[in-house]
Amino acid sequence: MNKNKEQLLNKRYKAEKRFRLYGQSAIFMALIFLTIFIFKIFSTGYSAFKKTWLIVPVTFDAELMMLEQNPSKEDLEDADYYDIALKSMADLDPNANEDQENELKRMVSYFFEREIKRELLNDPSLIGKTKDVYLTASDDLDQVFKGNYPRDLPEDQRRVTDYQLKIFDQLVELGKVESKFNLSFFTYPDSREAELAGIASSFMGSIFSILVCLMIAFPVAVLAAIYLEEFAPKNRFTDFIEVNINNLAAVPSIVFGLLGLGILLAVFQLPRSTPLVGGITLSLMTLPTIIIACRASLKAVPPSIREAALAMGASKMQTTMHHTVPLSMPGTLSGTIIGLAQALGETAPLILIGMVAFVNTIPGSPLDPAASLPVQIYIWAESAERGFVEKVSACIMVLLGFLIIMNLFAQIIRHKFEKKWS
Amino acid sequence: MKKNGVKMIKISSKNVDVFYGKKQALFNINLDIEENQVTALIGPSGCGKSTFLRCLNRMNDVIDICRVKGQIMINDFDINDKSCDVVRLREKIGMVFQKPNPFPKTIYENISYGPTIHGMAQSKNEMDEIVETSLKKAALWEEVQDRLHEPGTGLSGGQQQRLCIARAISVKPEVILMDEPCSALDPIATAQIEELIDELKKDHTIIIVTHSMAQAARVSQNTGFFHLGELIEHGSTDKIFKNPENKKTQDYITGRFG
Amino acid sequence: MKKKGSFLAPFFYKQSKVLFSGDSLNLILFTFIVLLGFTSYYFGRKKAYRIQYTKKRLTALPQFYGYYLAIWCAIPAFIIFSLWAIFEPTIVKLLILSDYSNQGYLDNELNLIYEKTKSLSRGQFTGEITPFIEASAKKYLNLRSIAQSSKVVIVLSAIIASGAYAYKRISSNSRTREPVEKFLKAVLFTASLAAILTTVGIIFSLIFQTIDFFKVIPLFDFVFGTHWYPAKAFVRDSSEALDPSMYSDTFGAVPIFAGTFFIAFIAMCVAIPIGLMSGIYLAEYASIKVRQYAKPLIEILAGIPTVVYGFFAALTVGPFLKEIGNSMGLDVSAESALAAGGVMGIMIIPFISSLSDDVITSVPQSLRDGSYAMGATKSETIKKVIFPAALPGIVGSILLGVSRAIGETMIVVMASGLAANLTLNPLESTSTITAQIVVILIGDQAFGDPKTQAAFALGMSLFLVTLCLNIVALRVVKKYREKYE
Repeated sequence: MNKNKEQLLNKRYKAEKRFRLYGQSAIFMALIFLTIFIFKIFSTGYSAFKKTWLIVPVTFDAELMMLEQNPSKEDLEDADYYDIALKSMADLDPNANEDQENELKRMVSYFFEREIKRELLNDPSLIGKTKDVYLTASDDLDQVFKGNYPRDLPEDQRRVTDYQLKIFDQLVELGKVESKFNLSFFTYPDSREAELAGIASSFMGSIFSILVCLMIAFPVAVLAAIYLEEFAPKNRFTDFIEVNINNLAAVPSIVFGLLGLGILLAVFQLPRSTPLVGGITLSLMTLPTIIIACRASLKAVPPSIREAALAMGASKMQTTMHHTVPLSMPGTLSGTIIGLAQALGETAPLILIGMVAFVNTIPGSPLDPAASLPVQIYIWAESAERGFVEKVSACIMVLLGFLIIMNLFAQIIRHKFEKKWS
Repeated sequence: MKKNGVKMIKISSKNVDVFYGKKQALFNINLDIEENQVTALIGPSGCGKSTFLRCLNRMNDVIDICRVKGQIMINDFDINDKSCDVVRLREKIGMVFQKPNPFPKTIYENISYGPTIHGMAQSKNEMDEIVETSLKKAALWEEVQDRLHEPGTGLSGGQQQRLCIARAISVKPEVILMDEPCSALDPIATAQIEELIDELKKDHTIIIVTHSMAQAARVSQNTGFFHLGELIEHGSTDKIFKNPENKKTQDYITGRFG
Repeated sequence: MKKKGSFLAPFFYKQSKVLFSGDSLNLILFTFIVLLGFTSYYFGRKKAYRIQYTKKRLTALPQFYGYYLAIWCAIPAFIIFSLWAIFEPTIVKLLILSDYSNQGYLDNELNLIYEKTKSLSRGQFTGEITPFIEASAKKYLNLRSIAQSSKVVIVLSAIIASGAYAYKRISSNSRTREPVEKFLKAVLFTASLAAILTTVGIIFSLIFQTIDFFKVIPLFDFVFGTHWYPAKAFVRDSSEALDPSMYSDTFGAVPIFAGTFFIAFIAMCVAIPIGLMSGIYLAEYASIKVRQYAKPLIEILAGIPTVVYGFFAALTVGPFLKEIGNSMGLDVSAESALAAGGVMGIMIIPFISSLSDDVITSVPQSLRDGSYAMGATKSETIKKVIFPAALPGIVGSILLGVSRAIGETMIVVMASGLAANLTLNPLESTSTITAQIVVILIGDQAFGDPKTQAAFALGMSLFLVTLCLNIVALRVVKKYREKYE
């Protein structure tokens, strides 16, 4: 009997250990996923913050640029830079035939003309002289330089030709290829060419959408929360509102996209693809989050504060506006920031209202067509070109960076300013 | 009870100190508990009597910041020793809590829970028998025999507490700890429980923490008086109530504080 | 006679430039109303001070007099202004199109005429201009200018009338606090209707398109059809008569529904065990320190945008599974349901874990004590006492997780296929409701086209399914909370 008992006890302890192990491995797996995730994004994305430049000697030949003696600023603006740009690329290989010259041209981005022009505008005395100019390398060569390109593939399966690789290798040996911080990733709008694509347009689109969202959702949500928590009678109607709010918080985001499409675009005829519509759609999504957060922090203000104010003869409205609402603000604000962070990461509803359109200008107002950061991620992820893969990861890093900052901010507000009622 | 005129000591504690984090809750407690007797622990609230009770079946393990020092011997075996198995210890020492806490299961399952995890019944019949005897001992059988498979949470407060007592005795513990078992009950239910305690002491050693001095006087043979984490005085209930040695005990008994 | 639009356009453009363009006029008027509201606040307060100066007692603080006047000044004007903005276009449209009534035009054509008129009047019309349209455009401009000037007059006189009325009413014993507070309360109440309005908006935006869709495609074919091939329903010319036979066997949603639930099932197979076990571990086993770090780390998973998961699934998990499959001699699609579902499961882990953590923590300690005191080990206590007690709450949180999985869009759009296969093989690609909505609606949509309507019908089914799940889940969780509070 005693022996049986001993065995049973052993078995029970083993079960205990096993169960504990399941729990530990579940946590471990979740954390492993997170690690793989972050690692993968960083390892593919960090190289996008570097950009490869070819250093090419350019001769600013006045004749080729169709410039007369002592040109004015306007003359320089209007001059023809294409020919000297083409010539300087062709000069990289003096023996090149026509096809090869074409290939040489395609080693740099189509911005090469502009880059040469900028050089001359900065220093007009360069006319007639030769200077080494930094030209943006084509995205494929950029990838070759970063070591991400499968050079061993047979020639017909890759976009970089053997000839281009040969010249490129020569340039590398001469030290004429340089990798520098990729500022244009932050200042250029989207582009079909990976080497020129930047997040400026989608970034501004996100900022505008979030601002619109904040301006609509915050006041409405706070007012609604104040009513429901402080003034609403307990009846069927307020119950119904409550059910609605809780429900909306769990409605799939794409349904809000359909709402934006079916009402904002089709009925109200608001302009398509704009951060205005995007922001309104996101605000409807964020509304329940903020209402729930605001109500929770109103609820956390102890009744004694209200009673104290009421006993001083303040009206219910004064009590609420002077005491309860200010005391609940830290919680409300941190809830709002978290809601906005969610809205910032939202993609599907924005796609439906057309913010997925290709926009190669930087929007200046919420009424200009724009994309947003997550939509930019989607657009680039769908592109076949190799150069976009690292851009996607880099864009994700920027987006995650913003989300982390917003969440930290929310945490700080909560811990620093929220009163602890005992 | 006495065997050959010598009191049998079931539990003896020596120099027990208990800390919650940095705060010391119990100071140097030395108390012997006699077998098959009811020992009452009394004192004002916050005096450490419940803490001491929870030391006896190591329920304080559940609280992260709690540390227990000193020696507690049960059947000449130190329960704070590393070799002591807490699961077996608690099988031997049952506990009844302040608020009735039946599991949200049927009455039958509530009782059979202990015997099942400790592997006490080999068959369904045996289990039925254990459930029946436990409920009978707890004086609940008459009331619930027709609804054994209804939820235990549906019973009245007093019934729930008796269910908890039945649950505790189902594994035939040597000692039963009771932490203010009647504080949430009405006078009639209290009287039933007190009657039950008297019945149970035939087979079990009982330690009861109570707020009510009257209850201590009614049910216990021995009493210990706690104050501010110290054991001020202990001895037979008669002596403590009629002829206390310590001034504080006297003040408490006569209702000057508490 | 036909004229080129480019020739006439500048004329109209100039003419419309003479007046304020509609938008800037509205902006000016709006700013004016707001400014006047602010100034009248000061007037009201000043009058209150004056009353106070004559040693009369006020019934409320001077500010309330200010608010009172400001509300009276701005709100009636603002209401007129908004009503005008809403109804003006409709009325103008009716007036313009009344010229074309009884000429046998179809609704669509009338709409087209109106659009042409509008764009010609803006000087943006580039097609050929008929005299009819030219006349309409002139009439349109005329009507607009009448409307605008009368709007300005009416709004301004409303401000003056109501403002003067209120200013006169202010006296030492007039009540100002009560009306102001009543007004504020009304504003608060209106704001609280936003949630209902949103729900109504959702239903409204879905229902008409859905009804139109089911006029063409029988409900039966949609619910029980097994072929989903919306690309077959190309965009038609609006004049072409509807021919339902064209769409037979095109909009059978069974493969879509099956794919949706299948991927959600795969996701839950990943999320439930991991999420539940980590929730239990965090609630019952983890030390304060582990909990302090592990909980927020796991919750990071919930904060990552879904498009990022989609990218991860498409770029990393899909190809990885394909490679493993190939090395085992299996034919795995790079866009397999397994990849999408698996990654979706990872996304849902934190929902289940933190919800079940909450639920388990709210099981009263007395039940744990009761079980430990019986000599039960921790895992026995969890499995036999805590888990059954917490079960309703856990079921609720799982249902919320399922609802999320069904409504998740970006992961499936990016990582799962877009072709609707009816399959139960996790290694093949399937499509979901959400993915199909995106595929259909990305790019330009033509309202009135069954393909577009199909997306709304899918949206409607998605909304209904998740609505049911949410209501059940929220109710279960609420009941559970009430039980232990």
